[in-house]
Amino acid sequence: MSYQNTTQFSSRRQQNWSRNQNTVAFISSVKLGPVAHTVLVALMITVLGLIYLTQATRATSYDYAAQKLDSQIADLNTKQSDLAIENARLTALQTVKNSTVAAAMTTPSDTQYVR
Amino acid sequence: MKLELQKGSRSRVLAGLVIGIIAVFIARLFYLQVIQNGYYVAQANSEQIKRLTIPAKRGLIYAMDRSTPVQLVMNQTVYTVFADPTTTQDDNKIISVIEQVAGGNARPNLQALLALKDSRYQILATKVTRAQADKIKAEGLKGIGFQEETQRVYPEGTLAAQILGFVDYAGVGQYGVEGELNSRLTGKDGLLQSVTDVSDVPLTIGSNNINKPAVNGDNIVLSIDRNVQAHVEQALADGLKKIGATNGSVIVMNPQTGQVMAMANLPSYDPANFNQVQDAADFNNPTISAPYEPGSDMKTLTMAVGVDKGVVTPASTYDNLGYMDVDGIHVLNGVGLGHLGTITLQTAMNFSLNSGFITVAERLGDGSNITLQARNTMYDYFYNKFKLGQLTGIQLSGEAAGTVIPPTDPQGNAVRYSNMAFGQGLDVTMLQMSAAFSSIVDGGQYHTPTVVAGVVDASGKYVAQALPPAQTTVSKATADQVREMTHVARGTLFSYKDKPGYEIGGKTGTSQTLINGNYNNNQTVGTYLGYGGDSTPRYVIMVQVSGKDKTFEGGRDAEPIFTDISNWMLNYLNVQPKG
Repeated sequence: MSYQNTTQFSSRRQQNWSRNQNTVAFISSVKLGPVAHTVLVALMITVLGLIYLTQATRATSYDYAAQKLDSQIADLNTKQSDLAIENARLTALQTVKNSTVAAAMTTPSDTQYVR
Repeated sequence: MKLELQKGSRSRVLAGLVIGIIAVFIARLFYLQVIQNGYYVAQANSEQIKRLTIPAKRGLIYAMDRSTPVQLVMNQTVYTVFADPTTTQDDNKIISVIEQVAGGNARPNLQALLALKDSRYQILATKVTRAQADKIKAEGLKGIGFQEETQRVYPEGTLAAQILGFVDYAGVGQYGVEGELNSRLTGKDGLLQSVTDVSDVPLTIGSNNINKPAVNGDNIVLSIDRNVQAHVEQALADGLKKIGATNGSVIVMNPQTGQVMAMANLPSYDPANFNQVQDAADFNNPTISAPYEPGSDMKTLTMAVGVDKGVVTPASTYDNLGYMDVDGIHVLNGVGLGHLGTITLQTAMNFSLNSGFITVAERLGDGSNITLQARNTMYDYFYNKFKLGQLTGIQLSGEAAGTVIPPTDPQGNAVRYSNMAFGQGLDVTMLQMSAAFSSIVDGGQYHTPTVVAGVVDASGKYVAQALPPAQTTVSKATADQVREMTHVARGTLFSYKDKPGYEIGGKTGTSQTLINGNYNNNQTVGTYLGYGGDSTPRYVIMVQVSGKDKTFEGGRDAEPIFTDISNWMLNYLNVQPKG
């Protein structure tokens, strides 16, 4: 694709000469009509829509993963609670009192204190 | 190219028609999407957005094991197993699995329940644990479902049942700590508002999502020491069995802080099976909810008033006639107590002579009458300083205030105040008496009684609760004198029962009960209120025994239970003997 110098225009500033100013404008030789423009815009909107859908679907897949993790956490918490209850029952006074270790204990006849 | 439709041509009519239809569509869409926007958004949200409650976990309740919190009340996730009889297939297998796994939690008539084919919901088993539920799930039974719920469990069984209370089927705490601190224990439910899929899985899409986490209930740590509580409950049960009493209560309190270390009553109940209780009175905690006439335990407080006002000392004497006449009313000492003639108030304390304490009341007046000034003084001490006849504010449901009739009341006359001097004519709870006596034992400092020691925070760390400042009831000199009087009083009658080398003091109390407004000598309540320790009192113990149509005495029936607990406490607290 080539461009040609089509129009030369001179602003008042240019007449006074200044740096870093575009002094040449290019016009494409490829002409797009209104139908092509409409199609292009529609295509762009479609692409954007697809991108949005992709991202939304990806976010939703994360939601399912998060839900699965939440479920696992809840399950582990329940297991932890059950174990804590079992631990409390095993260390309850009545359990300890009825244990074989306790049964083998004797009451001291006298207690001496170190002064 | 320029398209031109001829005027009146069919194409032009068609174009107009199409434009017209499009205009109708646009108008309709404008109506639906702009004008009716709010309505349809709400409709869509109601379908797509779910509001899920995140339930707060009810706080646990701990007791102390010396200085370490241990769980007394916990939460357990359990399941209700139900069936949809219209979809179940192999009923025999279902029955076999449920009976085998759920055991006693299975309903007895499973065959009949599953035969109800026009029903869609039949409960097959309740309170099934997670492990049991997992086993049932593993069988892959069709038409079987599980409902999750939380229940309170009590690893220590019935220990401290009337302190704890229970949680009813609506999830509301009743009685005890559960009832009084229900809002603290309940916490606050959270909210999850989100777009969900068909399976109710929350999705992050949408702009109106709310995730407000639940605030779990406080984990309350009681000042109750489980070892002390267990021993006290056993000692009380043994003591009542020996004397044939049906009712009994014990409080063990730390006199230096007001913290209750144990609080036991019989009869009691099992909080895990609260629905099986026959008599709802068993839910009550009589140490706080049953005011009674304290009897001779009150004499220590009357003596403290007299000593604090400077009108008597333990060595003060009076002429004991065995009775006192107050405004024409003959008030007797107990029958057969003797010690007639000139005796000291210490002797009156040792042998619990009513006349000695009526004398104290008279000396608070003009010396021979319980004047208005004397009554005002007694009321000020009893009600305002010792806080008798008013709620202590302990964190237990069902506390009763009791009654101390003021001198301004027509019934607050000299006769009543003469009776109040030795513990009749006023109603107080055991907790009020224990707290008032503790102030004598702790140098005149009143500590508001409490059963809460602190909380266990979210990280599992115990955080002690600050104690309210103590209030002065009497001077330290007064408190020390009266404490010594109770020490001497105990030494006179019961010192042989105590471990040597410790300071143990106490006072007996025997109260008649009021039945239909009359004192009944055939139904008396026996109490013993005392303390123990080395040079520093470590505990205050109050014991009460009673029974319908039975007579109990403080010295004979309640005191042995005190002795049992007191001697055990000295070992448990590692108190070293003096000298």
